[in-house]
Amino acid sequence: MIRQSVLVSNKLGLHARAAAKLVRLASGFTSEIHLSREDANQQIDSKSILGILMLAAAKGTRLVISIEGQDEAEAGDAIRRLFEANFGEDS
Amino acid sequence: MASKAETVFKGNAVSSGIVLGQALKLDSHNRLILKVRVDDVETEAARYLRAIEAAKDQVESLKSRLEEKIGREHSIILDAHLLILEDRSLNAEILDIIRNSRANAEWAVIQATDRLVHAYLSLEDEYFRERHSDIEQVAERILLNLSGDRPIRWEDLPNDLIIVSHDFNPSNFATVDLKKVRGLALESGGRTSHTAIISRGLRLPAVMGIHGLLTSVSTGDVLLLNGDEGQVVVNPTAGRIESMRRPMEAFARTVESGAGQSGLATATKDGTAVSLRANTELPYELSAAKACGAEGIGLFRSEFLFFGHPRGFPEMEEQLATYRVLVKEMSPHPVAIRTLDAGSEKVYDGADPATQANPCMGLRGIRLSLHAKDAFRSQIEAILRASSEGKIEIVLPMISTIEEIWQARELIDQVRSRLMKKKGVKLNPVPLGAMIEVPAAVLALELLAGEVDFLCVGTNDLIQYTLAVDRGNPQVAYLFQPLHPSVLQCLHRVAEVAKKMNKPVRICGEISSNPFIAVLLLGMGFTQLSMNPMSIPQIRKVLREVPLEASKEIARQALTFITARDVHKYLVEAVSKLVGHDLMAYANEITAPSLKV
Repeated sequence: MIRQSVLVSNKLGLHARAAAKLVRLASGFTSEIHLSREDANQQIDSKSILGILMLAAAKGTRLVISIEGQDEAEAGDAIRRLFEANFGEDS
Repeated sequence: MASKAETVFKGNAVSSGIVLGQALKLDSHNRLILKVRVDDVETEAARYLRAIEAAKDQVESLKSRLEEKIGREHSIILDAHLLILEDRSLNAEILDIIRNSRANAEWAVIQATDRLVHAYLSLEDEYFRERHSDIEQVAERILLNLSGDRPIRWEDLPNDLIIVSHDFNPSNFATVDLKKVRGLALESGGRTSHTAIISRGLRLPAVMGIHGLLTSVSTGDVLLLNGDEGQVVVNPTAGRIESMRRPMEAFARTVESGAGQSGLATATKDGTAVSLRANTELPYELSAAKACGAEGIGLFRSEFLFFGHPRGFPEMEEQLATYRVLVKEMSPHPVAIRTLDAGSEKVYDGADPATQANPCMGLRGIRLSLHAKDAFRSQIEAILRASSEGKIEIVLPMISTIEEIWQARELIDQVRSRLMKKKGVKLNPVPLGAMIEVPAAVLALELLAGEVDFLCVGTNDLIQYTLAVDRGNPQVAYLFQPLHPSVLQCLHRVAEVAKKMNKPVRICGEISSNPFIAVLLLGMGFTQLSMNPMSIPQIRKVLREVPLEASKEIARQALTFITARDVHKYLVEAVSKLVGHDLMAYANEITAPSLKV
């Protein structure tokens, strides 16, 4: 089980395009990957676009990712890199 | 089996009457999604999964076409739709509902997506909140793949339905089978909404503005709706139903006597015959016109066949097919087709409103038809040919000079004699009428009336041109006064000339759907009124309570006032005295707006 914190730092936040990228990436791993806002308890499935959009994570939102499964280490790295690269968008 | 607990809801008492019936719940698009119990849940689950796969294929192909056309950047939203279709939480929830509630896939999709849509609507961030529309679009696509775009099959439904919905627009009345609907229970709306006015006109008990109704009612639940007190009881106890038995029976009897009247010709209290026809624009409104007892179509606004037509204007055959349906359906009553009355919308090349500084006074109505004669000929041919099916009439819009009638008649005669030479074409006489909607036509009415078989008064345009006021311009909209003394003088003159020259005359404007004005028009001498179909039952009911002589006195008095406001005040008082039931909801419709300081 891995828990890590990430910051949404791209200009548009976790909007449809970024959410789609995250879902596609997360779905490539067998681990269960959950996300929650740092300021709220509700956990959502990061392989569900409806869950991610429901977080309504604008720029500056801090999220907590929990990953559990065989490929949790790789999944954690890949997801962190996606956030750090601002989903390939403007910051 | 234990019956569900009784729940009482309060709302606005909008339309009186007490009825017992079964809930028919419509979704936010006023679609009916019935819950059906399925025996083989795995087959149902597989049907759902096939619909999802089909939906994904459609979105994929849409996406690649879009990318070819406008580039990858813009297909992002379809990408999101694909991911929603693949969303494992949503899919798991829908499959759960199918399996655990033994429900049909359509119902499960609506349940799950409605919940999500509500959750999204509660988000503060506008962008994320707006994503609810993506969920709705995806749900729509899944439903289309599950059951196609099938309309409600009314013949399969029981005949004691109470519609339960968030809202219900006036146009929705045209899509329901009014013979099977006994009441209306809505979450939104109040006494003065248009839907409320129509409900009263239809004598359809209605309660509106009921909070939390939709989440507590399922299709098929027994409802006791009390439109007198604004109460809806879900799953009423046997004792409660019994206690309401007598008022329910009393209401049913009054409805039956009213329904009996709708088959009869309309008449005033002292037996003067009045003819009430319907104004329509779309063929589907026919069922509403018939259900409301319209004695014909007084004005079919044919421009709706033209607008947005891919070829600019519809071919003769296409128009003929529409007119035939209209005539057959309304038979034995007549159907009046108003020829194309376009002006502010572009229909033909060469008559682009964008090139006319003032399209309202430009090339429109009969002027445009005489300018684009080929299109006019094909419309006339279609109308003449449809006469083989029953009674049809031609009405020419925007007549301002006698030459326009001459030219139109010449063209009609040419088309007729050409058709008569063809084998197998059977034509019946088609009366020709003129719309009286330009002040010039009112002033020279004696000249024009001699050239036509009947007259139609287009009150909306007549008010606009008489008072020189563009209704669409909010800065002067307050001047659009149906009760302005000048407007009343125009109407009075039309009635007098028509009587003197023995020409049938019909009022074809929305003002006749107002009970106060309808009584005034009757008193002026107008015994033919045409209005939106839903208003007909109410107007019929009011006119049956009014003696002709009393309405004549009201008209005489109304012509003596010097402001629209005075006329309004007098009319509301005088008519209310004659009519036994409450009409105050209609008084505001014609309130003379206060003058701008």
